[in-house]
Amino acid sequence: MGVEVGHTFPRKTFTVEPHRVEEFVIALGVEPHPGWKPTKGNAVPLGFLMYVTTYGADEVHGMLDFDLLRTVYGGTDSEYFAPVYVGDVLSVSPVISSLVVKETKNGKLTFAELTCEYINADGIIAVREKSTTVERGN
Amino acid sequence: MADKDFSVPTLSSPEITRLRLAYMAVAMRDPNLVHMEDEYAKKSGLPQVIAHGTFAVAYVGFALSQAVGIDRVRRVKVELTAPVFPQDIISVDYTDLQINGDLTTARISAKNQSGVLVARGESTWVTNPSH
Repeated sequence: MGVEVGHTFPRKTFTVEPHRVEEFVIALGVEPHPGWKPTKGNAVPLGFLMYVTTYGADEVHGMLDFDLLRTVYGGTDSEYFAPVYVGDVLSVSPVISSLVVKETKNGKLTFAELTCEYINADGIIAVREKSTTVERGN
Repeated sequence: MADKDFSVPTLSSPEITRLRLAYMAVAMRDPNLVHMEDEYAKKSGLPQVIAHGTFAVAYVGFALSQAVGIDRVRRVKVELTAPVFPQDIISVDYTDLQINGDLTTARISAKNQSGVLVARGESTWVTNPSH
């Protein structure tokens, strides 16, 4: 693997566009809370902020050099420190925060944890999201 | 005084159709064909396409935000334990609520219509004094 823990991707800005959030909620078929609308000023639904959605998967997966055929999303740990609303502009610089290889009875599993701290317009961390991606075998 | 009888209602998702997978792929800009093409998924050793992990993660979050609002949620930790397939319906339950002053915590489980655990975790939110 050609990547190390601590690798930091270039910072990018991301606007929480109403249509992106609307697509997300349509996919789910459930309202985040009664009366929620995908319009500016409404809170961003939980689960929307993750690196694939906000930063783009290609650059991260390319760096990890994971085979997508053997890669699954393992989970998330999201902490919310300040509200994020539809229309907000956030910046994020993902960091590879953990790489763990486990030998199991079914073969090798590689767990990569990517930490994204979303900085809001006031310069504070609004959300810290840790995604775990798992590659089987190899 | 916080109400010790407060509970987070069970959330039952709609059927996760392939159309929902397509919407999610677009919303997330997710290029992984394991969510879109059966033949590709079979090369991964799966019987068919699988739903994005964000379905289970979001349903877990939405169960809570429907009950307390998005702004009161402080942490959602979710571990995915089994794949979710088209036609699955996910039910999310919050149990073992513990009120610790300003914060409430709970355990999370999400199961499919066959009772298979697809996600588990824990969550923390701001206790509502009126509850």
